[in-house]
Amino acid sequence: MKPKTNLHPKWRELKLTGRLLRSNPTAMAGLIILVAMGLMALCAGWLAPYDPIKLSLGERLQPPGAVHWFGTDEMGRDILSRVMFGARISLRIGFVVICIAGGLGSVIGAVAGYYGGRVDNIIMRVMDVILSFPSLVLAMALAAAMGPSLNNAIMAVAFVMIPKFARLVRGEALSVKEMPFIAAARVSGARNRWIIAHHILPNCLNSVIVLGTLTLGDTILIAASLSFIGLGAQPPTPEWGAMISVGRKFLLDQWWYATFPGLFILTTVIGFNILGDALRDILDPRIRR
Amino acid sequence: MKRWIGIVQMVFFLSLIGAPWVGAAGPDTLVVGVSSDIHTLDSGVSSDNYDWRQIYPCYDRLVKYKVINGKGSTEVEPQAAESWSVSDDGTVWTFKIRKGMAFDDGTALDATAVKFSFERTLKIGKGPADNIGAIKAMRIVDPYTLEVTLKNAYGPFLQTLATDGANIVNPNIMKHEKGGDLAQAWLAEHTDGSGPFKLVEWTRGQRAVLEAKSNYWGGAPKVKKVVVRFMAESADRRMALERGDIDIAENILIDQIPALEKNPDVAVQRYPSQLVEYVYINNQKSPLDNPKVRQALCYAVDYQGIIDYVLQGNGVQMRGPVPKGMWGHKSDLFQHTLDAAKAKSLLKEAGFGSGLNLTLIYSERRSSWEQIATILQSNFAQIGVTLKLQLMANPTLRDRVDKGDFELCLGAWSPDFADPFMFMNFWFDSKLWGLPGNRSFYKNDEVDALIRKAASIADQGQRTQLYQKAQEIIMDDAPYIFLYQVQTVVPMRKNVHGYVYNPMLESMYNFESISKE
Repeated sequence: MKPKTNLHPKWRELKLTGRLLRSNPTAMAGLIILVAMGLMALCAGWLAPYDPIKLSLGERLQPPGAVHWFGTDEMGRDILSRVMFGARISLRIGFVVICIAGGLGSVIGAVAGYYGGRVDNIIMRVMDVILSFPSLVLAMALAAAMGPSLNNAIMAVAFVMIPKFARLVRGEALSVKEMPFIAAARVSGARNRWIIAHHILPNCLNSVIVLGTLTLGDTILIAASLSFIGLGAQPPTPEWGAMISVGRKFLLDQWWYATFPGLFILTTVIGFNILGDALRDILDPRIRR
Repeated sequence: MKRWIGIVQMVFFLSLIGAPWVGAAGPDTLVVGVSSDIHTLDSGVSSDNYDWRQIYPCYDRLVKYKVINGKGSTEVEPQAAESWSVSDDGTVWTFKIRKGMAFDDGTALDATAVKFSFERTLKIGKGPADNIGAIKAMRIVDPYTLEVTLKNAYGPFLQTLATDGANIVNPNIMKHEKGGDLAQAWLAEHTDGSGPFKLVEWTRGQRAVLEAKSNYWGGAPKVKKVVVRFMAESADRRMALERGDIDIAENILIDQIPALEKNPDVAVQRYPSQLVEYVYINNQKSPLDNPKVRQALCYAVDYQGIIDYVLQGNGVQMRGPVPKGMWGHKSDLFQHTLDAAKAKSLLKEAGFGSGLNLTLIYSERRSSWEQIATILQSNFAQIGVTLKLQLMANPTLRDRVDKGDFELCLGAWSPDFADPFMFMNFWFDSKLWGLPGNRSFYKNDEVDALIRKAASIADQGQRTQLYQKAQEIIMDDAPYIFLYQVQTVVPMRKNVHGYVYNPMLESMYNFESISKE
């Protein structure tokens, strides 16, 4: 059996992933949504027709129309521009949280799973305690205790997300550490730390990516909820959750105010969820074979 | 995807559960929807109209504001006092108290009860004590005659007796006294008066319920129960009013009024009020202790924009502290207008040319405050001041104002009696720092002297001069940002009759004469 090309195996894997992704229409839909959101966030500075925080009281609460596609808010700010800049914030929150929570959670989980015994017990009981709170409630408590600001909200959400990753990686680590190549590494003198970094963690990466994508949606939702109750982004930051929070006061007569940021949260979260679902299937070795 | 379906189902079911709980009330129950929870029920402590809304109908006072042609006036007429006489020099007042009034436990309302109540309020020494602060001594002539001696002749004295601070409380509350607190802990959560109502329930964050007394000496109220529901959202209050779940909706966002006016079941009344909204600048906190910085802030505000757009024209810019319509108002007093260049140069002179960081605290007590806060933030940004906005629950906000733990704070004030004392003495006397009135912790000896002198003489012409002189000094010191004087808009169901608005009783209702068809 000779490989068709002489590509590096990692590249081959990636190409396979790409092919599977393309052949999966829902995954593509999710990906397209997210790429569009990402581009919108990156290019908000050029794309947005107006300054998102500049007040123009004379144009307050204009309905959607040719001048303001999504209408204006109670300060005369263009909602389309605010939603575009809001994408920056929401996506940033999502990615930063997943990087922190995914990184820390994976390491914690790998350590627990690899060493086992008492270390495992202590770490996982702590994780259970965190998990025993509903994540939104715990995030609210933390954010309130640290004081309302965007960065504190990010820390709070990241904290409550850690156990999800820790649990997942621990489970994977338990099975990976029984593999013959770990024994081989150990026999050839590799230290535990090296084995965790070079064998355990890379082997868990697929599941972490899947969970990360799935969790990103939740993360954006929780962060928006925190902003909604005033614990996250502070005015005049155009965060989606904060916009809905103010917009709901006008919902009866000015439907567009809360609706557009709400639609963007909905779309983004759905995008991450369907992409995550699809990635889970695509990256599953049993299906790939 | 399953998770999503689950959430949608949950929201759907929750909304179903929510619905039957808020059924419309019958003709015996009047429901008022208001923006925020109340603070205390002790009339010796509270200086908040939103508390008084509940407290006031539970008590009688010596006198009450007269209703002339269906309109509230600033003149008073007998209530618990049947008649009174005053000595020629205006310092000794003798009140004959009506016989046959009693508290719920059977204790008679007599001279002893009145003396007890006033002494208690004065001893506690909070905001209400300043309302009746003219009293020097009281003597019980006979069980139903009370002689009150004033420190000096004081024009608005009779009117101060119609305010919430002059409520007559059952002397028996002292059996609830703990550690010499004059029963403050108990009275904060209960009422014990001879008025037409009594409080039967106060569920924090939800509602307060007043029950009518069928044996009230002045005649039984027309409704049996008044429910005050705390509903933070203006939109909620509006929807509840349109559905008929509540009968009166307080503090509706002005943007929602035109739509409400279209509803055939709702009547929207507008009343010229003396309610003003302003910003407390903490004069004791650096850098706000520098008058130049305060002046700069005053020049940075787009007053006209706020009035035109946020208030939709339902207000006028304040000219000094005393509102239009109150004597002592100075129609040619200096008034700040938007002038960003001047504000910037003032900041530079004060040494903050490179900018400044400040925090504004506010609550949702008034539905417009969120917008005002955002506008201030944007206005201040124009002069290099970064304003952080901090929204908090109203009771928390009041605690922080009382302690002076803030930099800038949004506030509203309305007079309890028709005298510039309500503004000049409360807002600027350095003895009244904190919640009682001087919420900017302002101190200027010259102003103190002027306003104290004005309060100690009876001649209105002379008092006007003193107050107006003080106003000129105040405009230089800029202890507050004077925003605007509003029109009070009270939307209610058309089947509610008998409501009388009185600018001295802002956010308070004559529940005893309101009826529902």
